[in-house]
Amino acid sequence: MITFQNVSKMYPNGTHALNHVNLHIDRGEFVFIVGSSGAGKSTFLKLIMCEERPSEGTILIGDTVVTDLKRRQIPYLRRTMGIVFQDFRLIDNMSVYENVAFAMHVVGASNKEIRRRVPYFLGLVDLQDKAQCKPAELSGGEQQRVGLARALVNNPKLIIADEPTGNVDPALSFEIVDLLSEINRHGTTVLMVTHEHSLVKHFHRRIVEIHGGRIVADTGKVEVR
Amino acid sequence: MKLSSLGYLLKEGAKNIWSNRTMSFASVGVLVSCLLLTGAAVLFSMNIDSAMQSVEGSNSITVYCTQGLPTLKAVQVGEAIKNIDNISECELVPKDQAVEEMLEMLGDNGTVLEGLMGEDNFLPDSYRISMADLALYDETVAQITAIDGVEKIIDYSDIAEQLTQLDDMVTTVCFWIILLLGIVSLFIIANTIRVALFSRRLEISIMKSVGATNWFVRVPFLVEGMIIGLVSGGLASLILNVAYDNVISSLSILSFFTPLPLDPYRLRIVLTFLLAGAAFGVLGGFISLGRYLRKDVGAFTAP
Ligand SMILES: Nc1ncnc2c1ncn2[C@@H]1O[C@H](COP(=O)(O)OP(=O)(O)OP(=O)(O)O)[C@@H](O)[C@H]1O
Ligand SMILES: [Mg+2]
Repeated sequence: MITFQNVSKMYPNGTHALNHVNLHIDRGEFVFIVGSSGAGKSTFLKLIMCEERPSEGTILIGDTVVTDLKRRQIPYLRRTMGIVFQDFRLIDNMSVYENVAFAMHVVGASNKEIRRRVPYFLGLVDLQDKAQCKPAELSGGEQQRVGLARALVNNPKLIIADEPTGNVDPALSFEIVDLLSEINRHGTTVLMVTHEHSLVKHFHRRIVEIHGGRIVADTGKVEVR
Repeated sequence: MKLSSLGYLLKEGAKNIWSNRTMSFASVGVLVSCLLLTGAAVLFSMNIDSAMQSVEGSNSITVYCTQGLPTLKAVQVGEAIKNIDNISECELVPKDQAVEEMLEMLGDNGTVLEGLMGEDNFLPDSYRISMADLALYDETVAQITAIDGVEKIIDYSDIAEQLTQLDDMVTTVCFWIILLLGIVSLFIIANTIRVALFSRRLEISIMKSVGATNWFVRVPFLVEGMIIGLVSGGLASLILNVAYDNVISSLSILSFFTPLPLDPYRLRIVLTFLLAGAAFGVLGGFISLGRYLRKDVGAFTAP
């Protein structure tokens, strides 16, 4: 699913965020990415999404050589991914429903399809009763579930989550990761950056540790029954 | 692009305008002034042109004989004029006919001036002439003036020249004002759209993360510019049509000048204004979008 071959990233200001990273992640894996602040975790995710391009090396996603992708092809790559942010990134003046529908509108989905899929995914994250609420009327955990519904609504093959539980009550963190596991069980690959050791310990999944732009530990593929 | 997407994009563009009404109104105001001034300047020019044509079309040059010149002498003057090479037409206007024309123009059915017919006519005989080659104008005038019995020459091209000068001046002044207003309207439209762009930057970053194409992100802002332009164009053409009709009707008391009727041009004005307005709006949109969407930044990096 994802292959990094000798990938380095140097930012224009000279920061070496990643150094010669080699990594392979299979379709359907669930991977925790851990590491101290500034280790290069977000940079790793940005490279996968093509928000940044590597200074060196090759990145493959599925059969696509991302490093060869032309700029106008990037949106189509991103449509195969769903992204969850630490700060939710919901639009304040849109209702829960509209926030999720928005992600479908912008990739050109038909109204009929939107009316069918949005309620389904709101049901999946158990928010069908709050569809008409504004984000400000929801708890942090609920807001992140909206974020999750939005990431899922376009049927991505890959979910990228950068500290999705960072702004959520620790007790609710498990709920979010439970949902991600549930999605993963249906075949979606999940990449999740986290600082919470309790989560990593509780869910037995592959762990990749980055430090100083290098991969310093990797449990390898973990089979989930 | 699918129809549902198009509807969505148009709605988003309209939303931009409404959530940003003060700036949008300012844009419309300046663009309307710009279009109105352009329209007014063009109509002014067209009126001067038509006035000049009517002046040129009438007897362009009139040669007056000395007052009280005996008729025989006047005929000899006519012969002398016809003998000049450059004269293509020479028509006698006897003094009696001149009086009649004058009566007609004054709408006087002959109380005061009636007594002036015949012996008491104070008007001189005159000739209406045309020249074959206007390049020889000065020479020919000198030759005519030299004829014994010619009092003076009145030339309507003097009037035409003054009209042309006026037209040139108005055109020049308007050109600079229009240029200035055009730049100001582009600037204001671009800024209006930039404000919309800024207030929606979170949305844009999410759109890009989710995989919206650059065009999809752009279109609502170009639609915003286009709506501003179309509204301005519509408003400006309405104002111009109504204002021109009012000016015409208040000028109609002037008998010597008939303003150009607007009817054949109304549709053309509306279409031109709409088109020009839309073009300005979209151009303003492109200016403000500029480099903003060049980067592949999604919601990770952006705000
Ligand atoms: N756009 C950028 N320009 C320059 N340097 C950057 C940029 N983004 C990140 N960096 C630097 O690259 C290094 C890695 O950053 P990155 O955001 O990947 O870390 P991280 O592991 O996600 O940290 P955190 O856990 O705090 O989110 C850091 O030293 C950071 O300062
Ligand atoms: Mg980070």
